[in-house]
Amino acid sequence: MTNQPTLTSLIDAAEHGNRAAAETLFSTLYAELHRLSKRELARQGIPVSLGATTLLHQAYIEMAAQDGASFPDRARFMGYAARVMRGLIIDHARNRRAQKRGGHFEITSLSSEVEDAVDHHELIQISEALDELSQSDPVLSEVVDLKFFCGFTFAEIGSLKGISERTAQRQWEKARIYLHHKVRTNLEA
Amino acid sequence: MPTLTPERWQEISPFLDHALSLSEADRVLWLESFRAEKPELADLLQELLDEHRALTEKRFLEGSPIVNRDQPSLAGQNIGAYKLISPIGQGGMGSVWLAERSDGRFERRVAVKFLRFSVAAHGGAERFRREGRILGQLADPHIAELIDAGVTPNGEPYLVLEHVEGEPIDEYCDRRRLGVEARIRIFLDVLSAVARAHASLIVHRDLKPSNVLVRNDGQVKLLDFGIAKLLADDASAAPTTLLTQEDAGALTPQYAAPEQVTGGAITTATDVYALGVLLYLVLTGQHPAGAGAHSAAGLIKAIVETEPPQASEVVRSPDVHASAEKRSSTPERLSRELRGDLDTIVAKALKKKPADRYGSVTALANDLQRYLKHEPLSVRPDSIMYHAAKFVQRNRLGVALTAVALIAVIAGVTATLLQARAAREQRDFALRQLSRAEAINDLNNLVLSDAAPSGKPLTFDHLLEIAQGIVRKQHGTDENTRGELLISIGRQYATLEEYEKARQLFEEARSLSRYLPDRSTHALASCALGQTLSRGGDPSRAEQLYQEGIGELPDNSVMAIERVTCLMRGSEIASDSGSQQEALIRALAAEQLLQHAASHPDNLELNLMVLLAGDYAGTGQPGQADGIYRRAASRLEDLGRVRTQLAGSLFHNWGVMLLRVGRPLDAEKALHRSIDVSRDNESEDFVSPTTLGVYAEVLWELGRTEEAGNYAERAYWKGRKDGDGVATRLALIQRARIRRARGDLIGSGQMLSELDTLLHRTLPSGQVYFARLASELSLNARAVGDWLKALEWADKAVEIAEQAAKRRSASSLYEGRYLVARSTIKLHLDSVNEAIADASAALPLLQSVALPGSASSDVGRAQMALGRALSAEHKDDQARSAFRNASENLDQSLGPDNPESREARQLAGLSPQ
Repeated sequence: MTNQPTLTSLIDAAEHGNRAAAETLFSTLYAELHRLSKRELARQGIPVSLGATTLLHQAYIEMAAQDGASFPDRARFMGYAARVMRGLIIDHARNRRAQKRGGHFEITSLSSEVEDAVDHHELIQISEALDELSQSDPVLSEVVDLKFFCGFTFAEIGSLKGISERTAQRQWEKARIYLHHKVRTNLEA
Repeated sequence: MPTLTPERWQEISPFLDHALSLSEADRVLWLESFRAEKPELADLLQELLDEHRALTEKRFLEGSPIVNRDQPSLAGQNIGAYKLISPIGQGGMGSVWLAERSDGRFERRVAVKFLRFSVAAHGGAERFRREGRILGQLADPHIAELIDAGVTPNGEPYLVLEHVEGEPIDEYCDRRRLGVEARIRIFLDVLSAVARAHASLIVHRDLKPSNVLVRNDGQVKLLDFGIAKLLADDASAAPTTLLTQEDAGALTPQYAAPEQVTGGAITTATDVYALGVLLYLVLTGQHPAGAGAHSAAGLIKAIVETEPPQASEVVRSPDVHASAEKRSSTPERLSRELRGDLDTIVAKALKKKPADRYGSVTALANDLQRYLKHEPLSVRPDSIMYHAAKFVQRNRLGVALTAVALIAVIAGVTATLLQARAAREQRDFALRQLSRAEAINDLNNLVLSDAAPSGKPLTFDHLLEIAQGIVRKQHGTDENTRGELLISIGRQYATLEEYEKARQLFEEARSLSRYLPDRSTHALASCALGQTLSRGGDPSRAEQLYQEGIGELPDNSVMAIERVTCLMRGSEIASDSGSQQEALIRALAAEQLLQHAASHPDNLELNLMVLLAGDYAGTGQPGQADGIYRRAASRLEDLGRVRTQLAGSLFHNWGVMLLRVGRPLDAEKALHRSIDVSRDNESEDFVSPTTLGVYAEVLWELGRTEEAGNYAERAYWKGRKDGDGVATRLALIQRARIRRARGDLIGSGQMLSELDTLLHRTLPSGQVYFARLASELSLNARAVGDWLKALEWADKAVEIAEQAAKRRSASSLYEGRYLVARSTIKLHLDSVNEAIADASAALPLLQSVALPGSASSDVGRAQMALGRALSAEHKDDQARSAFRNASENLDQSLGPDNPESREARQLAGLSPQ
């Protein structure tokens, strides 16, 4: 364990444009979230009820315990982890599309409205548009990761990012416009 | 069509921000001027705003990205004789699956409902299956059949139910724009099904639209009959309420009857109530508690307390035009249809008291039939007198509720934090506070109202339990607020000396707030937890937590109030570990901070005053303490808070201090008030046994032996019952004294030997209490004429007290007192010089612990002893002067009519022989 770079150093390097570090960071978080969701699945039996938010909080607590005092603060961690969570969900949707059945694990929605689930085709398009958005307006794409993919409330996002709930909501509305526009024009094109 | 390149997005982004912040009307105006200014961007902006409207409508991205339509882990699995096909829903109880028989014997499809609760906790799998079978015998065309009940190998209980394809009754009626009569006819089918079930003694307990479906062919089907009962544990005698239930999600508070919220008996009347709600909803399109979202607390308050508006009134409000339309009517016409009989029927079903509702579902159905046939109803409309009478009744209960004053403290503590926070400059913060204030207000109203409907006053403990339940279940409350509320409730437990409960709440608040960016809640939880652990005898961990808490609060004006609160806990912690000086320093730091803070919440300030006064008293500055107590008492009076718990502690602490500075007469007044505050009519259940014990001591000092005896007994038994060691030993001393005064020396000795055992078990040797014990033993020896033994014990008392004072673990009071006692013994043994020496040594000690510039009974008694010793030496002038001093002190501290005062007067030659 000692030879492994800490999450903090990875985040630092990634923030300074180190691509390799960014990728390691991504895969570390991915592996951890994946491991946690599998463990919860095993622990709870069926049916699983595990929200993305719970999973992230859990990951934060466990990874912070491993990394010790120098662990990044919650806001920074959640920023990255939310992005990874999106990847996890998108991969899951892709898998599902590929094999229809027999996914490795499940993250269930806490929402009882099953009909509200977004179609996986649209989901992948949204994710692609989000990648684009993160180039020009990373703040907006992060809000979408936190809100849509991880289920944080505006109040939580506000307190994570140090902005007001209203600002968080306005950023969300802007991002929705952008994504909707992108997805729509892609379909029309 | 302009495309959205990164450059264009950058360019348009600020304008989009602005446009989104405007109201619809302002936006149109602004767009026009924008078009004039930047025509090249205006089209795109317009397009994006149109897009926003469209995406809002279709709830773009408001769903979940996670599809749980076909959970591969479950689909295809066999549950009993059934094979799961696909999930059809997820609810509070668990998930529901469409399934078919795995042996293919029947075509019929069923619904398998997994219940998310532990069978083990509910009387075991066998009981679950048995009850399931009983429910299965309920046969009615309008009740979805329960086919089977079982438990999976994983221990998960499930039910196999008839699969019903239909829509909730309200949606069914709305979609078809059914008028009032048609709705009532459908509703009568619901009633007949419920009546059938009631005849089999099965109560539904959870009637709500999603459990009352109407199929396409118009057939009504009720789901989940009796299932709520499977979830409740009948084996336990204690009734569970929605609030105390482990899994409150299982029941729907929106349709719960008052008795389900308050823990009353669940009967068929419970279903009558839920049917009333359902009827109200079907007729008006609105829930009786009003439109919009409700917090759990708000909803429960509405259920328990608020009379719903009349159905006919509700449909006239402008925001429910849609309701009339959906009933192929206009608001006026709909209102007219509902006014009168239907209003009366609905109100009767929705009575808060089960006994006031329709006696049966059939009775409700009969009145609806009469309405359809235009016949007179069985019930009369509510009169105004009835409403008025009810109002008074409810308020009287509120007044009688003894815990009301105490609960107000919850509001006080939290409101304190709120006021302070509002001073923060950020507006966002203020907004958040507003929602907190609402949450707290909500909570208070709810807790206060809870006792009213059942009519029995609740204990404070019970109220706190309810409050906790509400806080934990309150949705939409952020974690900071939840944490603060838990801390407030925990503080209440701490004041009740229920440290274990307090500790749990603080721990919960602490872990809840561990990762919040705003550190204040975490810091407050740490400090509060520290204080609790300190009371529990873990001073080093307590101090550590305090340091951690105070360290998390930056020393700036924004966090001033939090720092004050934390410093106060730190002062208590220091005081517990005997560091009186440090305790005072912390309290003074808190005072300093509060003086310069932006706001001075009354409750916090008063608490600090009481704390500070205690710390002054503890560091031997009773004059300072007395002044602060006096000011705090008059502030409480001004604020009308003389009957609060804080007032109780203030008068108690003040009384104890006055007793220790030799002012029993004043102490009696203060302690009497303290008892009066906590007294509930004639019952002293809420009076602390320590207060009773100290009061006994005061009465003893004043020579009111009989009353003292009475209080000493009560203090003793209550102290024993509460496991309160302080009160018990205090009471044992008084009991020993009183028995001695009555000549019962054997009884007195027994008390002292019990005290001896208790002290050795609970206190370190050398503690000043051992001196008190020795002093009483000395007095008992005197009483049997064994003066040598008396001297031996008196020596011992003086020695222990002297050592304790040297270590600064006790004031010089006891050393002085026991010197006076020894002086008397020495005089009797003719060691006159030693008697004079003891009394002379006692005088400055006792003067030093008296209130500066005030008389003291201890000083008076020392002067008496000195005077007597001097008379024996025939130093008459000096003796007279001592007696005169004694008389002055005793007159003022014990009152002129006190026998000791009279004697002093006589000896001083101030009154005729």
